[in-house]
Amino acid sequence: MFSFLKRQSEQSRIGQIQRLGLFATLQPKELRVINGLLHERRYLKGEIVFDQGEEGQALYIVFGGRVLICRQGEPETGRIAEVAEGSMFGELALLDGSPRSAQARAAEDCLLAALSRADFNGLVETHAVVASKIALQLARALGQKLREHFVAMDARPL
Amino acid sequence: MNGTYLASGPLVWMATIAITTLLLAASAKALFLVVPFLLAIILYYMLYPVVRRLEFNGIGRETAAALVAGGVSLLAIAVLVPTVPWLIGQSVSGEEALGRYLEGGRVLINRTLATLESQFGFLKRMDFSAEVGRRADELGGTFMKEQLAQGLLNAAAQLPAVLLAPFLAFFLLRDGRRFMRMIATAIPNAFFERTIFMFDSVHQTARNYFAGLLKLAVVDAALYTLGLWLIGVSGAMVLGIVAALLAWIPMVGSILGCIMIVLAAATEFPNDPWVVYAAIGMYLSVRFLDTFVIMPLTVGRSIRMHPLPTVLMLFIGGTVAGVPGLVLALPMAGVVSTVVGTIGAIIDDPRLHARHRFSKSLEAKRINADLQL
Repeated sequence: MFSFLKRQSEQSRIGQIQRLGLFATLQPKELRVINGLLHERRYLKGEIVFDQGEEGQALYIVFGGRVLICRQGEPETGRIAEVAEGSMFGELALLDGSPRSAQARAAEDCLLAALSRADFNGLVETHAVVASKIALQLARALGQKLREHFVAMDARPL
Repeated sequence: MNGTYLASGPLVWMATIAITTLLLAASAKALFLVVPFLLAIILYYMLYPVVRRLEFNGIGRETAAALVAGGVSLLAIAVLVPTVPWLIGQSVSGEEALGRYLEGGRVLINRTLATLESQFGFLKRMDFSAEVGRRADELGGTFMKEQLAQGLLNAAAQLPAVLLAPFLAFFLLRDGRRFMRMIATAIPNAFFERTIFMFDSVHQTARNYFAGLLKLAVVDAALYTLGLWLIGVSGAMVLGIVAALLAWIPMVGSILGCIMIVLAAATEFPNDPWVVYAAIGMYLSVRFLDTFVIMPLTVGRSIRMHPLPTVLMLFIGGTVAGVPGLVLALPMAGVVSTVVGTIGAIIDDPRLHARHRFSKSLEAKRINADLQL
């Protein structure tokens, strides 16, 4: 009767999550917890995932396809980055609800998984160790981006 | 939680009050379902951390939910099986005790009135004491014969439905999150982030309210027990627990709790009015502490509503659904205001509608791509 609620291909999804830097330090049972929190979403080529300036509510993992990160309404001239399969974007939304710094659009048909800030905050309460591992990886990733930014600007980090 | 996704204003208030009133009226008609659901939700929020802990230790969600709900059911049976025959045995003496308490209350009123008559001559000339005593006797008799019997019958009628609560709690624990995810799957991409924000707001509101209510009951029960024990009233713990549970019913519960404690003190110390005054003082002090310190720190934080519609909702709840309406009015209004606020914000955002139309056009293009000759 409740077969429609059954989990599908949990193992393959966990394998994909494990390959992401943010969750690289998690144990298999911790990955199962994360998998239980993900919302799977499908986007058509050209479809907007979120707008620049919109309040961020979730981090997205690309399970299939590619996502373009660009300035609002400038997919060609305002291109910032392209997120490929097995990568993620919008991770700052896990920290606060500050406005998105760029627009995200599907560069081709995509399969994404969203982890909401609310679920991450819940994780902090119920699985503090898992949440702290993710937070540490997030801090490392942001540090790396900051260093790359300084290098790109030909400036020295503080 | 950021509030910029929530619309506010008179329209949102009016819609919240109207929808909550309709839901409360429907609840009054389906009390046999509302009571077990309410208990199941309270059980869910109490047991959810345990299920998460078991899940984290490698036990599947289904098994963890079954273990926890089964464990609670067994515990309830283990407590109820010896308790029910004892309660039945106590029912006669319970009625006697209630009669004794009412008599104690009558004596207290008579003594107080006699003191007043000795102070104010016009009351003596009016034969105020005798008249009030006669009215109190009539009221006490009616209460014992009609109100109490009806109340006990109504409570007994709810008992089978209450047994449904652990069963419902099991399904909430097992499928609640997946059910929410399934609903989120049906939401168009343009509205997805707003929807998960709404789900979280609703979850937080309900969780904070019911968890706050439980914490409040524990603190209240401890304070009442301590206060009554210090005053010297026997059965302090039972009275303290009942008074704390009565406080769950807004407005009416406080009055009933106060009357109960006053009657207990007056019966036990009929010749010492200062004990009764001390009991009243203790009760009012705890209520004061409760209203201005403990409640704002627990339950108050969960209902993000202006005090005006909050009080209005309590009156409406009591009018359309009686005591259950009073209990349900605030959590229901909190949840409805969150849903209405989020939907209002979505309706007010033309960009989201434009994105949704664009997504639909992309989908239509893809579907129709091979239809052109």
